[in-house]
Amino acid sequence: MHFFEQYGNLKFYLLGAFPVGDLGGLVLNIILAILSLSLSFFIGVLLGYSRLSRRKYVKIPCILYVDTIRSTPLILILFWLYFFLPYILGTDVSLFWTAVAALAVYSSAYQAEIVKAGILAIPKGQLEAALTSGLGRYQAMGFVILPQAFRMMVPSYVSFFISLFKETSIVYVIGVVELVHTGVIVSQRQPDSIYAAYLCMAIGFWVISYSMSHVARVLEQRMGSLDYESFRPDVSRDEFMLLPQDKSSSGDSS
Amino acid sequence: MMVTGVKITLLLLLVTSITSLCLGTVIAIMRMSRTRALRFFGRLYVEIFRNIPGLFWLLFFYFVFPELLPYGLGDKLNAYDNYPIVAAIMGLTVDNASYVSDILRSGRLAIPDSQREVAISTGLNRVQQYLYVLLPQMFRAILPPLGTRMVHNFKNTSLCMAITVPELTWATQQIESLTFRGLEATAIATVFYIALSLSMVAVIILLEKYYKIDISSMTQAKGR
Repeated sequence: MHFFEQYGNLKFYLLGAFPVGDLGGLVLNIILAILSLSLSFFIGVLLGYSRLSRRKYVKIPCILYVDTIRSTPLILILFWLYFFLPYILGTDVSLFWTAVAALAVYSSAYQAEIVKAGILAIPKGQLEAALTSGLGRYQAMGFVILPQAFRMMVPSYVSFFISLFKETSIVYVIGVVELVHTGVIVSQRQPDSIYAAYLCMAIGFWVISYSMSHVARVLEQRMGSLDYESFRPDVSRDEFMLLPQDKSSSGDSS
Repeated sequence: MMVTGVKITLLLLLVTSITSLCLGTVIAIMRMSRTRALRFFGRLYVEIFRNIPGLFWLLFFYFVFPELLPYGLGDKLNAYDNYPIVAAIMGLTVDNASYVSDILRSGRLAIPDSQREVAISTGLNRVQQYLYVLLPQMFRAILPPLGTRMVHNFKNTSLCMAITVPELTWATQQIESLTFRGLEATAIATVFYIALSLSMVAVIILLEKYYKIDISSMTQAKGR
């Protein structure tokens, strides 16, 4: 059985040539996904918030950026940065950082969409209540809307993380030695056990993204939706609003 | 080179869209069937293909699939000139079909069960129920996510350069390595991808305008 003989390559699949060479393998996929997601987090939030701005000179560039990135294949972003980062920065950029930069650019656009959807999912009454209680617009955003929006966004963030984790396999094209590349290397080194190498790759990806999707499902049940019905103080509204009572119109307030 | 690239990208887009829609529909119906084994295999398919990246499936169909076939057939496939394109179509299809089936299943859940009951009471058998009553409504209910998935599938065709399919992205890299004019080629390719995916989005929005059904209105009893 070629498959069980692959046990000798286990460290290569997981870590690449790590102690002697660069980090690689499955761990590199996870690191790439986490690093690019966290690097582009603030850009994503900023973009998502600016997309909802009323100022056209803020809104339009953001929409352009997000739509351009979202409709370009990741592979082309990768090639753009591969050719241009050394040209712009004036120094050589390692393949790893090129991959991180491309994935960060890619994920910032998608995060902007997630943040936008999260902010729009918060009922308008929350913002109005925050503004009424004397918070400024940015304070209301920072202290009232965004914390709730982040809570709503957690499940879609996890599922985006899964898809980003799968997209990290694309950096194989510029020669980063991640899981797909290690599998290809092994299959070239041992041509008779080619399917065993592919099976190992598949298991590596499958285990991580299956368990993550399980996490996503649990999170969605726990915190995917806030119960806004119970937030609304319907009961106390009429009694405590000390407004001049109008007898004629009090009948249809319910 | 660019023109052939565009042609092959469009070919991949058309063929894989159609095949993955068909396969996805079959898988979705399997997942909703009453037979336990069919449900199990449908679920198995989706769990396997969704959790492994598309690039893997492309490489798998290109390198491994001919080896798994009986001896003569695999060699014939490897000798076939256009095998990369065939492998690309297979890989993109199986990857996309899992997502399509998931979306279709959510569409089925969105349609009220009374539709099926009405279909049964008019005397349609199970195939007719799906063909004439459920599937048309399902497709109309899921237009937006399905469209997004198709745009995604279009972007995924660029991955086929990894298995030497001469499509647009491959052409840009080839131009880069032959003439060092990669910048212009990549710019043109990027503009092409953006233009085509934006126009796909526009078509989807138009379709949505004409074909979207209001599901919430179907659940309300009309007349007493």
